[in-house]
Amino acid sequence: MNDPGRLTRRSLSPRLSVYRWQPAMIASLAHRVSGLILVLFVPLYLWILHGMTGSTDDFERMQQWLHSGLGRLSLWFVGVALFYHFCNGLRFLSIDAGWCESRMMMRLSARVVIAMAGVAALLLAVLLLG
Amino acid sequence: MKLIKEPGSARSGFRDWYLQRLSAVVLAVLLPLSFVVLILVYTGHLDQFGLLDIVDNFVSRLLHTILIIALIVHAYMGLKVMIEDYVPVIGWRVSLIGGMLVLMSGFGIWWLAIIWAWGG
Ligand code: HEM
Repeated sequence: MNDPGRLTRRSLSPRLSVYRWQPAMIASLAHRVSGLILVLFVPLYLWILHGMTGSTDDFERMQQWLHSGLGRLSLWFVGVALFYHFCNGLRFLSIDAGWCESRMMMRLSARVVIAMAGVAALLLAVLLLG
Repeated sequence: MKLIKEPGSARSGFRDWYLQRLSAVVLAVLLPLSFVVLILVYTGHLDQFGLLDIVDNFVSRLLHTILIIALIVHAYMGLKVMIEDYVPVIGWRVSLIGGMLVLMSGFGIWWLAIIWAWGG
């Protein structure tokens, strides 16, 4: 397949199937997914901000939308993605700064971050459904 | 190896990496605050006047401006890395990254215009 004389146009990253699933890897993948979710929701932030700072009617309409099913679901997705991306982002930053770099610490902190996000997801769901 | 390196040099890679971390630190401070304000509005603890009191002043506008710049730099660098990882064809890669840059800059300018146009 990798004939040296031929130009192969393939992705630089290996396929997912070559990895063994491990906490640190799941944490990295989830970081990517949460980052993508946060970007995709950016237009929504601007729209919400625009509505909330407009006329009183705009504000009321925004409130109604936020309390609708779709609004609550969006808040939940953004909230969980943000919380996870934030925690794991700080974890990545500290790893880049040279703290907690041992393999064991990286696995442990990955588990901690994932567990925290799980708890946050539940709490936010309770808040939004209540 | 030559092919892989074609557009962009190793030096600009480090700058991107660094900018993404710098913007991450700014976001880590400012973004949770914004989300808390949003939730307070949702729960009704903050009405529109309360919200305007918080956002409609010079310091808030300045912080908001910093937040948006950091957000866009961070999202741009992040998506760029992802496109470079998953899009192997150089032509597509360059167009996607370019399109993203245009879209995001437009968005950022629009957003800043809204913030600085608030009355008061
Ligand atoms: C809450 C504050 C935030 C922190 C502390 C943070 C931190 C980080 C860090 C350290 C990285 C680099 C990860 C790596 O090199 O693998 C990263 C990547 C990324 N971030 Fe954030 N971030 C934050 C907010 C955001 C927001 C609001 C967005 C979306 C608008 C976002 C989108 C992304 C994307 C798309 C990536 C690239 C993911 C990848 O390459 O796998 N981040 N973030």
